[in-house]
Amino acid sequence: MRIFWSFARQAFQNTAIYRFDYWLQLVSVFLMMYSVHWIWTSLYSQHPAAFGVNVAQMVTYGILGMALEAIFNPGQGPQTYIATQLKSGGIDTDLAKPLDFHLHMLARNVGEILFRFGTLVLPSALIGGAFLGLQLPASPVAAGLFAVSLLLGYLALFALNFLLGMVAVITLDIRSISWAYSSLVRFFSGQMVPLWLFPGFLGALANVLPFRSIYAIPISIYIGKLNGSAALEALIFQSVWVVALFIVGRLAWSGVHTRLVVQGG
Amino acid sequence: MEELRIYMKLIRISMRSRLQYRADFITGIISVLVLNAVNLGLIGILVHRFSQLHGWTIWDLVFLYSMFVLSHSLYSLLFWHFNMMDTYIAQGTFDQFLIRPISPLIQFLGREIQYIGIGDILVGVAAFSLAYSNKGLHWQAWQWLFFTVAILSGTMIEMSIRWMIASTAFWLGRSLSLANIMNRFNLLVQQYPIDIFGTWFQVVVTVIPISFLNYYPSLVLLGKANDGTWLRFLPPMVAIVSISAATLVWRAGIRRYASSGS
Repeated sequence: MRIFWSFARQAFQNTAIYRFDYWLQLVSVFLMMYSVHWIWTSLYSQHPAAFGVNVAQMVTYGILGMALEAIFNPGQGPQTYIATQLKSGGIDTDLAKPLDFHLHMLARNVGEILFRFGTLVLPSALIGGAFLGLQLPASPVAAGLFAVSLLLGYLALFALNFLLGMVAVITLDIRSISWAYSSLVRFFSGQMVPLWLFPGFLGALANVLPFRSIYAIPISIYIGKLNGSAALEALIFQSVWVVALFIVGRLAWSGVHTRLVVQGG
Repeated sequence: MEELRIYMKLIRISMRSRLQYRADFITGIISVLVLNAVNLGLIGILVHRFSQLHGWTIWDLVFLYSMFVLSHSLYSLLFWHFNMMDTYIAQGTFDQFLIRPISPLIQFLGREIQYIGIGDILVGVAAFSLAYSNKGLHWQAWQWLFFTVAILSGTMIEMSIRWMIASTAFWLGRSLSLANIMNRFNLLVQQYPIDIFGTWFQVVVTVIPISFLNYYPSLVLLGKANDGTWLRFLPPMVAIVSISAATLVWRAGIRRYASSGS
């Protein structure tokens, strides 16, 4: 736990230097919440029946999708750190640390994410609740399951990002790959458009891919679209993927590690 | 003209160094195709559900999207490097552009052209052709002219906005978050007709003139004149104003950077 805390403090110090930057990020989240609020209310007025949920749930889904962006942004994570370290050659100091690399990346990222959760997600959720119609969780049970699901979603995203970081070790530059990666993650995780609106084949595909662990499952539980045994099944789905992705991540790392050592860092 | 010659020369040098990373070029193009497929996919899903958005059919929306991408493609090919400026300033490497007797802007832009813009051009042309034929459009010469002018103006507008954002790094140290906000606006304006949003949003994307890349010219080209706003004829004027404003901000920024001795 101490490691996580020290990385959180470091994230705080990095951010505290650029205070103006922080306000801009908050403005950016507000902007996105405002626009999805409009998209959904305007579409809802066209075809109320096409949604499967009521307008308040739909708006809550959209706004939460934006508020969680600060911790669920697929463009920011261990892979950016790994890529930077590879380029600058600093990766050898990471390898020299008496700390498992996978755990080190997790600690570093958790610290940052905790910090972002406190400083960005919570304030934006409050703003969303006060001005844009973000509702409270569907029930106390839903709130509890949401918290668990959010954690699992975070771990799934971390594991996926870590794998992308492993790709960086091989290709050395992931700038362009990450664009495609981020947009696919955003798409299949249902950040903008909920997966239950996806037609036939796309919907089926989205349902088996791990990405729906990230936005779709936690938020669907939050608004009460997923409840009872369906919600529990979804949590199991998330857990299975998290375990599988962590195992793949470790295997990939041990493969890549030898390669790094051969390269001489 | 001398500056143009130097610019071309710099670009040739940077191209030669970039050509060593052939794989990066290919993954870059593929990434752009995926990115756009996803964006269009989201619109497709919504229209599949709702048959149209606020009176815009699927091909209207593809048209709107293609205009944005076409303008954006030229920007990203030639001017994307502005996004890197705050890194130069933070690391102190920007000084190299100030000590040579050539315009710092030319040297800076000559550093890199972004191949990936080619992917945007492919997407833009494909989306535009599909929309054009599926809407059964038959344009007169003046419409083609307006279209061309609007695309080029759009490129200049986005370039100016990015240039200004990059210049804020002279004061703020970094401009990444501002650039990210811009990406957000871009994506929304690119995908949705702005009349779907509230008035505030429409005002913002008109004052920060991104909606002139696609929304306003599309009103003219798709004959959606019913709301009769005169703004739709203005893209070239907006481009000129934007470039002038960006030039002023840039000059002030350089002066500040040079005098702080950092």
